[in-house]
Amino acid sequence: MSLRPQKIEFDVVWGCLRQTVDKVLKLNRVERDDWNSSFTDVYTICVAFPEPLADRLYAETKLFLENHVKVQLEEFNCYRTENNDGENGQMMLHKYYSAWKNYSQGLEYLNYLYQYLNQQHIKKQKVSEAEILYGNGTTPLAISQEQMEIGELGLDIWRLFMIQNLGDILVKQILQGIERDRLENNLTSKDIETIHGVINSFVSVQDYKKKGSLHLYETLFEEKLLEASGSYFMSQASKLLQSCSVSQYMQEVIRVLDEENVRAHKFVHMNSVKKLKKECEDRMISDHKAFLYSECKEMVSNDKRDDLRNLYILLKPLQDGLKELIQILLEQIKNEGAESIMNLKGENVHIQFVENMLQVHQKYENLISETFKNDPLFLSALDKACASVINSKLSDGKTTCRSAELVAKYCDNLLKKSKSTESEIESKLSKSITIFKYIEDKDVYQKFYSRMLAKRLIHDQSINMELEEVMINKLKQACGYEFTNKLHRMYTDIGISVDLNNKFNQHLKNLNDELNINLSIKVLQAGAWPLGPQTNISFAVPQEFEQPIRKFESFYNSSFSGRKLTWLHHLCAGELKVSLAKKSYLITMQTYQMAMLLLFENCDSMSCKEVREMLQLSHDNFQKHLQSLIDSKILNLDTEKIEDASIISVNLEFSNKRTKFKITASLQKESPQQEVEQTITQVDEDRKLYLQAAIVRIMKSRKVLKHNALIQEILSQSKVCFAPSIPMIKKCIESLIDKQYIERTANSSDEYSYVA
Amino acid sequence: MDEEDKISDSENQTKPEKMFTLKRWNSVAMWSWDCSTDTCAICRVQVMDACLRCQAESKKDATNKDVTCVVCWGECNHSFHHCCISLWVKQSNRCPLCQQEWSIQRLSS
Ligand SMILES: [Zn+2]
Ligand SMILES: [Zn+2]
Ligand SMILES: [Zn+2]
Repeated sequence: MSLRPQKIEFDVVWGCLRQTVDKVLKLNRVERDDWNSSFTDVYTICVAFPEPLADRLYAETKLFLENHVKVQLEEFNCYRTENNDGENGQMMLHKYYSAWKNYSQGLEYLNYLYQYLNQQHIKKQKVSEAEILYGNGTTPLAISQEQMEIGELGLDIWRLFMIQNLGDILVKQILQGIERDRLENNLTSKDIETIHGVINSFVSVQDYKKKGSLHLYETLFEEKLLEASGSYFMSQASKLLQSCSVSQYMQEVIRVLDEENVRAHKFVHMNSVKKLKKECEDRMISDHKAFLYSECKEMVSNDKRDDLRNLYILLKPLQDGLKELIQILLEQIKNEGAESIMNLKGENVHIQFVENMLQVHQKYENLISETFKNDPLFLSALDKACASVINSKLSDGKTTCRSAELVAKYCDNLLKKSKSTESEIESKLSKSITIFKYIEDKDVYQKFYSRMLAKRLIHDQSINMELEEVMINKLKQACGYEFTNKLHRMYTDIGISVDLNNKFNQHLKNLNDELNINLSIKVLQAGAWPLGPQTNISFAVPQEFEQPIRKFESFYNSSFSGRKLTWLHHLCAGELKVSLAKKSYLITMQTYQMAMLLLFENCDSMSCKEVREMLQLSHDNFQKHLQSLIDSKILNLDTEKIEDASIISVNLEFSNKRTKFKITASLQKESPQQEVEQTITQVDEDRKLYLQAAIVRIMKSRKVLKHNALIQEILSQSKVCFAPSIPMIKKCIESLIDKQYIERTANSSDEYSYVA
Repeated sequence: MDEEDKISDSENQTKPEKMFTLKRWNSVAMWSWDCSTDTCAICRVQVMDACLRCQAESKKDATNKDVTCVVCWGECNHSFHHCCISLWVKQSNRCPLCQQEWSIQRLSS
């Protein structure tokens, strides 16, 4: 053979080639030599001299293919007229499938045989993909008249003759098959393969198309499939509804959904899987939402987790399907939470409050993780419900919400007198943070916490300093540095004081000096401790205390410059050795009580007026502490009530079984109610400072900002601590303008700029 | 307890018994800057706290008080946050409270 173009007799060459084409399409054996010469024939025709005969070859081949398919179609004539129910229909599907399998296989070989024509002749004139996509001047007509690769041509001929004529009958048979699979579940694997193969032929036949390759599949088959499936699902649903409870119905629907998913993958094109699922959901779930929801409240309140899990699975795919379930859950948590903390009574209200609330929280957190896959929508409903319970006013008629106080007290209780182990305490503290995070006015909590912390630290009531620090760090993690700044300063003051005491003792040693008492001093920095105003507590310090004070002050002033010390005698306590009636006692008491008793070292009796004037105590303070000493029977009074003229004397007959004890003169006799009120007013002051600092910080980084934008920034920054009122923010802005930290910009009245 | 009794017994032998003896004193003192006013007249924040600008920057130094925001006393004995008065004197070199020429007497430590 030669590769040179030559003159040929078309009919002769085609005559030979045609025989091979026929064999290939019928999948008959083709000898290698025949194949090779046919391959050459295609080439020879395409390059024929004086003019290539490719177009003629194309036309002849097309005609040949058409005839071949027409003959095939005739085989199906009987099915086109008769009623094809049952086995007959199944037979037709098998027959079509096998005809299609053979044809498409043969076509593949043929396409290969025509490689030269495809590559050199047809592809060159093919419109580029981009041109198809953007329709660049090429009309659809031009595309349809254009020549196709032989494989594609063959497929198109199959579509035009076979599918066009048999499609509807085939689809009907397929749907019957699928219905049998649904109802009787008795299709053989051959049946399944056939149905899948036939469906797939609707796709394969247009697979070569760049655009709209699924068009035939969708219009011919998918639409009808969805329609038939829809009515099947509908009838299934109404059948189930007649006999099933909600719980059973959900199980059945989930079973159907699972089966349909398997079925879809078995038969149809990938693209239909979702649509089929949607159809099933619409007919079996959406259409019966009211029924599904009819027992929802009961499921939630009776904690029916299996049912709720199923309900979640069914409603999740629907648009807004879960909305109602979430709302019901939210209400349930709210009610249960509110109930759990309602009417708390007794000493341990704070413990009950936190632990009851935690129990509710844990229960629903667990439910959401086990049943609702930790769905964020449900978690946020949990948060919303808890926040609403915790921040709502208690039903005892008080205007303020006590949650902040109660949670702080819970922590105080743990850090003060728990019998639990360290790790137990720490885990309880961590859990208290869960509740703490829901408190809106976290700064109120902080105020209470700092008061309680102060008492623990000053009176050495903390069970463990490490735990104190752990807790402060937990709060810092939750709310940031500013929130715990003062708490931290209080905590460090205690450590610094231990240090100072050691240095002071060393200092005394160096001077060869000695105090006759065991002295321990806590030096607190003003501002950090919530101790209220320290003025107006008058007290003439007796010389027994005077000396250590003087020595410590001189030591302190040599260590620091610009500092002054104020002694908080009302917070001091000590041990006094009392020897009466030949017995010694070691009694712990407050400084004022010690000072009173020490007056009697050198005299047996004195009038009340004398004692009070010598110590320069206020009337209240004097009464309170004297009374405690009379009650403990160390001092005697000659009158019933404490009067100026009453005479105080030492009870020389004093006797007590215990040699070491404590006299508790109502330590800090503030009523809890007063304390709460004070705390609330302090909160306001601190909020103003917090807001001002926030405004300065924001303006410093943004330089210029509109009023509303500034307000938004402030709200978002202060969210971690409290929800400030807009009037308060405005006041703070005004005050910063006064102080010239910021100013209104010249060109706009609602814009501020930072003054460097 | 026994030990305590022994001590008092031995004391009994040496000197006349005292009725009341101070043994231990746990006292509490508060330190503050030695200022005539508690509040800085410039930023109107307590001198014990950091000034407004320093608070806005919220120093992440949690273990110690804000080291950078110290208190400053003038020769006139008025005191302010050092940050506040330093900015102030850039505009007018006079004490905001008494209008005397500002000169630093000392800084806190
Ligand atoms: Zn200042
Ligand atoms: Zn500062
Ligand atoms: Zn001055």
